[in-house]
Order: sequence, then structure tokens, then C-alpha cells
Amino acid sequence: MNKTWRHRPPAAFRLDDDRVVVDRPGEARSAGNLVRIKPETEFDALAITVQEQAQSSRRGLHWGTLFWTGLGGLILLAAGVAVADLITDLFSRNRELGALGLALAVLAAVSLVVIAVREIAGLMRLTTVEKLRQRATDMIAGDDRAEARALVQELLELTRRMPHLARSRVNLEGHFGEIIDGADLVRLAERELMTPLDQQARALVSAAATRVSVVTALNPRAIIDMLFVLASALVLVRRLAFLYGVRPGALGFGRLIRHVVIHLAMTGGLATSDNLIQQMLGHGIAAKLSARLGEGVLNGLLTARLGLAAIDVIRPMPFAALPRPTLRDLMSEVLRGFGDGDERQRSPEPNLAMPEVP
Amino acid sequence: MDEFLEQIRLATQALAEFGVHLFNPTIRLGVTGLSHAGKTVFITALVHGLTRGGRFPIFEAMATGRIARAYLAPQPDDAVPRFDYEAHINALVGSRLWPASTRQISELRVVIEYQSLNGYQRTLTLDIVDYPGEWLLDLPLLTKTYEEWASESLRLSRQRPRADLAKDWHLHLATLKPEGAEDEQEALTASRLFTEYLSACREKSYAMSLLPPGRFLMPGDLANTPALTFAPLELSSEGPPPAGSLWAMMRRRYESYRTVVVRPFFRDHFARLDRQIVLVDALAAINAGPDALADLEHALDQVLNCFQTGRRTLLSALLRPRIDKILLAATKADHLHHTSHDRLEAILRRLTKDATAKAELTGSHVDVIALAAVRATREATVRRGRQQQLPCVLGVPVAGETIAGETFDGETEAAIFPGDLPDDPKELLGDDKSNFQGLATASPKNADFRFLRVRPPVLELTENGILALPHIRLDRALQFLIGDRLA
Repeated sequence: MNKTWRHRPPAAFRLDDDRVVVDRPGEARSAGNLVRIKPETEFDALAITVQEQAQSSRRGLHWGTLFWTGLGGLILLAAGVAVADLITDLFSRNRELGALGLALAVLAAVSLVVIAVREIAGLMRLTTVEKLRQRATDMIAGDDRAEARALVQELLELTRRMPHLARSRVNLEGHFGEIIDGADLVRLAERELMTPLDQQARALVSAAATRVSVVTALNPRAIIDMLFVLASALVLVRRLAFLYGVRPGALGFGRLIRHVVIHLAMTGGLATSDNLIQQMLGHGIAAKLSARLGEGVLNGLLTARLGLAAIDVIRPMPFAALPRPTLRDLMSEVLRGFGDGDERQRSPEPNLAMPEVP
Repeated sequence: MDEFLEQIRLATQALAEFGVHLFNPTIRLGVTGLSHAGKTVFITALVHGLTRGGRFPIFEAMATGRIARAYLAPQPDDAVPRFDYEAHINALVGSRLWPASTRQISELRVVIEYQSLNGYQRTLTLDIVDYPGEWLLDLPLLTKTYEEWASESLRLSRQRPRADLAKDWHLHLATLKPEGAEDEQEALTASRLFTEYLSACREKSYAMSLLPPGRFLMPGDLANTPALTFAPLELSSEGPPPAGSLWAMMRRRYESYRTVVVRPFFRDHFARLDRQIVLVDALAAINAGPDALADLEHALDQVLNCFQTGRRTLLSALLRPRIDKILLAATKADHLHHTSHDRLEAILRRLTKDATAKAELTGSHVDVIALAAVRATREATVRRGRQQQLPCVLGVPVAGETIAGETFDGETEAAIFPGDLPDDPKELLGDDKSNFQGLATASPKNADFRFLRVRPPVLELTENGILALPHIRLDRALQFLIGDRLA
């Protein structure tokens, strides 16, 4: 043997050798220092290490947070004292009334805790989704096999409650036994899991945009327009969030809306550069035909753009293997729907209407 | 002048094909690889996967069901034999044997009917050529004169470990006088000894790659013709050879070898490629040792420099087709555990570093993968004693393979640990490369790497009852090579 090479030397183990044991799943392991062979059906032997995300850049105390914490605490204290006073008061009047008051107070407290937990869970889901997207983006550049597998596992977990993705999930899990590189696995997961969701998201956005256009064009009162546009926007974002598995609570929804608006503001400039002329032209022609019609198209456009921004914020993966929906093709759908009138509203996707798999 | 005429010829050819391709989109896929790199297996697996619906999750068009069907069609060149796909697949699946060395050129055409992303029904024609890998080494001769080639061959043959193998030829060479009168018998002997030296270099334990001219090793239908009866001479003087001398005769024959053999081969099969996959059997070279690896590096460099790479433009499509995507694939990746695949890729990337940099500079896309067109092994972890864990592959080694003192009969299944590839390819390829030993310098028992050849797998059935060949990253290769043309 030469001594300069410091790696392990080659070796072979015949499976028919008496000293060799092949592990089969489910069999008890016998002791002894034989050679033991463990066939890998999947890469379960791999130690999957997930790198911790860097802490968010916002560190240290924030006066706003402190203020809200203080104020919230005070209000909570005041409410507590008031309730305590009320219950003592009730007890002094009548024993039964007091007991009822106490029970109600406990009920309120318990449900407050549940609500708080769910809110926190919702907020955390939102954060998870953002992190997942960031990690998927890194993975496509980094091409790390073990990390990509961990990421796809988490995605499967996230989509576990979507019955119409059952087949996609099984397909994806079937590919785990094969040797697929990190970036490819992420793209494969995107194609399998996101294709149906993207289709539904598109349908949701264009349906909302069509509705807004039609209502704005037909409605004589400006204030109702405004309210309707606002309400549809909120409903749209909420539906999209549920569609992509985020399920935010009230607080989470508030934060989501904030992110969407920020995203819209940030990408608005970019999007205008390529679409503005064509939009303005379209709007201009529509406005020439009728002022109300022009307004309708404009409002529909805004809704569609909001929907696209929301998809960008909510989707747990970046658009890598699949094309990002563009305002142009959404608007062409909207205008088509608009021209045909309201009765040709898009029917809900068959997937949504399907009964849940038990 | 000759070169200029050749360019015009190529341009005319390209122009004529451009018209045809306008109506019938075609990709000429160049499957490039030295001998024993796995070209035939790759083509067989590719055609089988396309036509019979393989498991290709990464090949988007097939995974999403946009490919309606793919079928074999009559090939365009009537003078070229057909690639015997059926025989190869039967040998692989039926008797579990790898195809024998390719002895002559053959061609196959696959037509893919697919629906484009925006819904149009389209077809894409894929032309694939298989040829003996030895012939690939002729391409660098296109730019070399006889004198250049002779001095280069002599220099190579005096290096370790070739010098031992070339002993007989060198002895005979010393008796030859280049300026002396031409002599057919001397030429015959020289060329025979030279050929013997070349084939000795190719033996598994040496696994040398840079062995031009290719037809000496795989003559095809030109065996015993004067075009193949020449050899390098020891030339001391410059300038044109004296008329009627041995030198002049050798030189004339070398020239006719280039015009009769090399140039048509290049013109018909390499000058008009659109996409290229370069299959490299790096594992065989690692098996043999540092010298074989260095030799492989030179051979790849010379071969890859023959190809016209660059971005595809209208002008280039009209006059001189260019290769806009090159995939470098380290084949037989199933001979090692998947945790080592990245290292194998790093080694290949390093072997082809100069050629890759040049191709990328001209605007081509280059990717490097570890590939197994047909996967013949499963993976396993072997635990020996208390601590030691070895990542192994499970397979049936071909009869006669040896490792660590054990010889296989071609029937026994075994777990094979071929040796650890280093994280840093420099350890294998750096200047201090002599620190690992291959079969060229050590006995099979003491070699630092033993990548065993494994018999083709026992095949599984898909849902449709059709045999599906297992593979490693064949779908990724397809996605890279033709995925964008199926969009």
C-alpha cells in the first residue's frame, strides 16, 4: 500500500458471504461485529441539516413596539380590573348572578387565549411562507441536495391540508427515491404543487377584477364603487392566502395587507414601465367610449394588479419553473369577460368544487 | 485554398438545411465521447425513454404530459446504417449485457409530437449519430500537418508509461531513414507496430485516451488501405521532403487520410450540430491512475476545441451552425454513491476547464452533470465493526472484475465501495498528482480506486406494464439539451 493517499481504500462485500448481513426493514438487529449492509430505498440515511435563517435585520428595542405593549397591557389591566369589580359587584347582589358572571369571564378569557394562539400561529405561518420562498430561491442558486429535500418536505407539510393536491403530493413523494439535484427538486416541487394552485389563483384574480369592472361601470354612486373595490380587494387577498395555505388570522391578515401594499408600491414602478402605455391606451379607448366604462376598466386593472402583488407575497415558492402570471393575460381575460357581460362569470375551478377526500 | 473551399461547402450545406428546418424543426444532437464512454447506451436509453415513456420528472415536457408521442422515423442519410436500437435494447434488457464497442457509424431519427406551452400542436425531429469513439480523436488532426503530428506522437510515446509499450515500435523507428527511398514493406511494419502500441495503450489498466489516428484502432471499411498504412517518423530537418523518400510517402498518406477519412467525417456529422452532449468516462481514467487522467484531460481539450460553439443567430443558422448548448456528462455515475456525485462533477469540470471557459466566452451554455443513462446499481450503507460506515453501491459486477483480492463471476451481487473521491479535484489532478495509484502502476489489490463494471439491472415494470430503464439524471440532461426547444 502506498502511504501518500490518505483516503479510504476500496472494498467489496459479497452478499452471499456468511459474514455479511443484509438489513431488511422490520427485522430485529442481531448483535456481533459482522459486516452489515443497509440498502437505501430512500435517502433516509442522510442527515438533513437545515441552516438557520439569519436573524431579521430589525434588532433591539423599538419604541413603537414598546408603546403598543405598554398601552395593550394597560387596557388589559383596566379590563381585568373592571371585570373583577363587576364580578364582585354581582356576587354582592346575588350568589347565582355572581357565578354566572364568573363563568362568562372564564369563557371570555379562555377564548381570548385561543384566539391569541391562533393569531400567533397565523402570523407564524406567514413568516414560514416568506422563509420558504427565500430558501427556495437560495436553493435554486445553491443546488444543495439535502437542504432541498428538507425544504420540499416542509412544503408537503404546508400543503397537507389541500385535498386536491393529493395526487401531486404522491407524485412528488414518489420521486424522493431517485437521485435528483437540489435545484431540480425545487423546480419539480413547484411544478407539481403550484400548478393547480396557480390556476385557481389566476381564476380568482381575474374573476374579482371582472366583478369590480362591471360593478364600477354599472353603478351610479361613486361611494359604493369605492367601498366595493375595497371590499373585493380584501376578499381577494384573503382567498388567495387561504388558497396558498397561509390561513392568516386577523393580525396576520393586517400584516399581509401591509406586505401586499408595500410590494405593490415597490414593484409598481417596474410594472408600469412595460405595461403603462398599453394600459393607458386601453383605458383611453374605453374612456372615449364611455367615462364609466373607462373607470371600470381602470378599477379592474387595479384589482388585478393587487391580486398579482398578493400572489407574489403569499406564494410559498418563487416563480422558477412556472411562468409568473402577467397583468396582460389577466386583463385580456377580464376584458373578455367584460365584453360578454356578467352572466359569463368564470365558473369556479372543478378542483374547488370537488368533494374532499376523506 | 483547400480550407476556403471546405468552408463554402459547409455554408452551402447549412443553407440548404436551413430551408428544410424552417418547416420541419430539427435538432442535430451530437453525442460525443471517446471509446467506452457510453454513447451507445446513452442513445439507447434516451430513445427508449422518449418512445416508451420513461420516468423523467425533471424533463418538463414529458412530466407534464405535453409530449403526445415520440416515434422512430426513417433517417435522412440513406448511405449511413441505421442505429440498431432494437438489438441494443434487447441485449440490455434480455441478456443483461452492455452493447459491444461500436464498429461503424450509424444514425437514428426520433420524431417528437408535442403541444407547445401556448397550445400549438408541433413536431420536433431529433437526429442522433452513433460512431466509434476512437474516430473522435481524428478531429484534431484537421489542423495539424504530418510533421506536427509526427513530432507530437513521438513526444507522447516517450513519456511514462507509454515508453514501455512503444519499445518495439521505437526500435524499428530507429532503423528508418526519412530521407531514404520509399519502401512499402518498411511502411507496413512501421504502421503495424505503431498500431500495436496504440492498442496496448488502450488496455484497461492504462486507459490512455489521446491515441490518434482513430482509424488505426477501429479501421471500419478502410483496413489495409494505403491511407491507413503510415506512421510517425523521426524527422530531423525542416522543409519539404525529398521526392521519392519514405518521408514523402508517409506525408502523402497522412494527407489522404485527412481528406478521405477525417474531413468527410467532420463535415457529415460534426459541422452541423445544434446541441452537444460530451460523455466522459472519468472513472475508467481514475481507475488507471494519474497518467490516464492527465491524458484524458489533453484528449478532451483537443476534441472540444474542434467544435464551433456560440450563440445561435440567424446568420449563424444560415451559414455555419453553432452549438449553443453543451452538456458535459461524467458517465457511469451509478458506480459510486450519490454523495460522491458532486465530487465527480467537480473533477469533470476541472478536466474540461479551458474548453468550458472558451465555449462560455462565445456565448454557449455549458453544464456539467454526473450521469448514468442506465442505472445498474442500488445504494447501501455498509457498517463494518463498530464505527466504520461505508457508502456503497449494490450490483452484480461483470465477470472477471477484481477488487481488494476478490474476483467476481458475473452472477454474485456485492456491495462495492470504490474508494473515496476527494473533495478537491486538485488532489487527483494537481501537480503532485502522482500521490494516488491506479492499475497502471499498482496491482489491482493495491490500487486506490476500483470502479467496477456492473451488469445491467433486472428491470422493473411501470404502471403501463412497459419496461422502464432506471437512470440517474438522464431527465435533467434531456431538459438541458432539448427542453427549451419543446417550450
